[in-house]
Amino acid sequence: MIEYRDIYKAFDAPVLTGVSLRVEQGECLSIVGPSGTGKSVLLKITNGLLRPDRGDVIIEGESVLNASREALEKIRRKIGYVFQYAALFDSMSVCENVCQGLPEKEASRIRSPEVLKKVCQALEAVNLDPKHIVNALPGDLSGGMRKRVGLARAIVGKPQILLYDEPVTGLDPVNSAVVGLLIKNIQEQLRVTSIVVTHQIEQALDISDRIALLEKGKLRFVGSPAEFRASPDRLVQAFADPRAASAAAFEIMEEL
Amino acid sequence: MSNMLIGVAKSGVFGLLRIIGRTAEGVGRHAGGIAILFWRVVEATLHGRVSLREVLAQTYSMGVLSVPLVCVTGVLSGLVTSQQGGYQFTGSVPLYVLGSVVTSSVILELGPVMTAFVLIGRVGARITAELGTMKVSEQIDALYSLGRDPIATLAAPRLIAGTISTPLLVGIANTVGVFAGLVASQMTMGLGPESFLYGARLFWHDWDLLYSLTKGLAFGFTIPLFACHMGLITRGGAEGVGRSTTSSVVLMIVSVLILDALFPPLFLN
Repeated sequence: MIEYRDIYKAFDAPVLTGVSLRVEQGECLSIVGPSGTGKSVLLKITNGLLRPDRGDVIIEGESVLNASREALEKIRRKIGYVFQYAALFDSMSVCENVCQGLPEKEASRIRSPEVLKKVCQALEAVNLDPKHIVNALPGDLSGGMRKRVGLARAIVGKPQILLYDEPVTGLDPVNSAVVGLLIKNIQEQLRVTSIVVTHQIEQALDISDRIALLEKGKLRFVGSPAEFRASPDRLVQAFADPRAASAAAFEIMEEL
Repeated sequence: MSNMLIGVAKSGVFGLLRIIGRTAEGVGRHAGGIAILFWRVVEATLHGRVSLREVLAQTYSMGVLSVPLVCVTGVLSGLVTSQQGGYQFTGSVPLYVLGSVVTSSVILELGPVMTAFVLIGRVGARITAELGTMKVSEQIDALYSLGRDPIATLAAPRLIAGTISTPLLVGIANTVGVFAGLVASQMTMGLGPESFLYGARLFWHDWDLLYSLTKGLAFGFTIPLFACHMGLITRGGAEGVGRSTTSSVVLMIVSVLILDALFPPLFLN
């Protein structure tokens, strides 16, 4: 279970202004909202990559803010993080990259058959053929493949929580759908707690148990996909329905 | 009119104070960051969290691969010193003194400093660019999120490798530089090896060699420390990496020169 308690974060200007939210064990929550409203910041606060100015995140009963460095490293090992641009290590092969998702001792035994088996299983789980890809460098891969290797790295250590930061951004519709299906499959098979930051509303409606809409650093809506579709809120409608989005865009342009 | 002049003077003073304040803040921020990085490297090393394989790989990359360039600068240092010394001493000072001048100049100053400059260009800039790129492409964040410590994984091996390899490189630069000076003295001024070595021994102190290697140790620690610090604080995409690398090279050159200036009053007097 992940609990956000009154999170505040500002850089030059306030980004998050009092976000409180609970994500239950095994739940998949998608966070949507206009660009620059602090969705990725909230995700980074979740595993301690950023510290909130106020508030706290509680993961499985442990405070992220008050954790010692060792405790924070332990919390992070429970979490798989899929970065927006995969963040693969350029100097390492695909095999070495995926291996980094395992505990440090296991990762150092990269040549052992059981470690290689885990790496291959993770790659197969994201629809990649280990035989063809295992020795390739990230620079040799397409955008979609890089994202899937990033996903394999996140799931190889069997985390309890998965955080996805815009997992389909920059992908063509086919690859985007493939990654979406993979997220859904992983969620169904592993029953992990997942938070997906995305702009792909159809995908969010398809894979999520609940959807949260973040606007100007505050939660404007939290509810099931059905509630999201039926919401009378104009911003929610603009996100849920492309025609409403066009109308909202037209209004914004007129105001400008 | 006088009010206007007072206003201009005031704004000038405030502007100057603002610049001084900003500079002091920047220096303080860097000093704090470097001190924390240093402490965390020591901590990671003492807790045995640094990979020996990575230290060896970095030592090879920083040390072994720098040998050719260090030899070139060593040869040129010895050659130039012997030529200039010969030009000044001919007809006024016994030429065997050239052996002492070349040996002292190379061992006390040129060997360590030229090696440091080679390492700043070849190693320091590369470390900053490499870590800076990792920072802006979220690879450092990825390491943190995988429960790894980037300081133990990336910074510590580079610092240890630099501290080990630089004194050895300085030793090579010294040897090559003195030998080049000896050969050049014989070829251009007809000063025999016996006379050159006699001159070298005449003003030789055993401490000089230790002093030279200690300088190498200090430079070898400082260069990767500053390079890692600048890399890990990089922001703002490709432009940020470029800016960070340039600032890092400037910082490393200035630090090496300041350290070099501090050595004689601390260790030679």
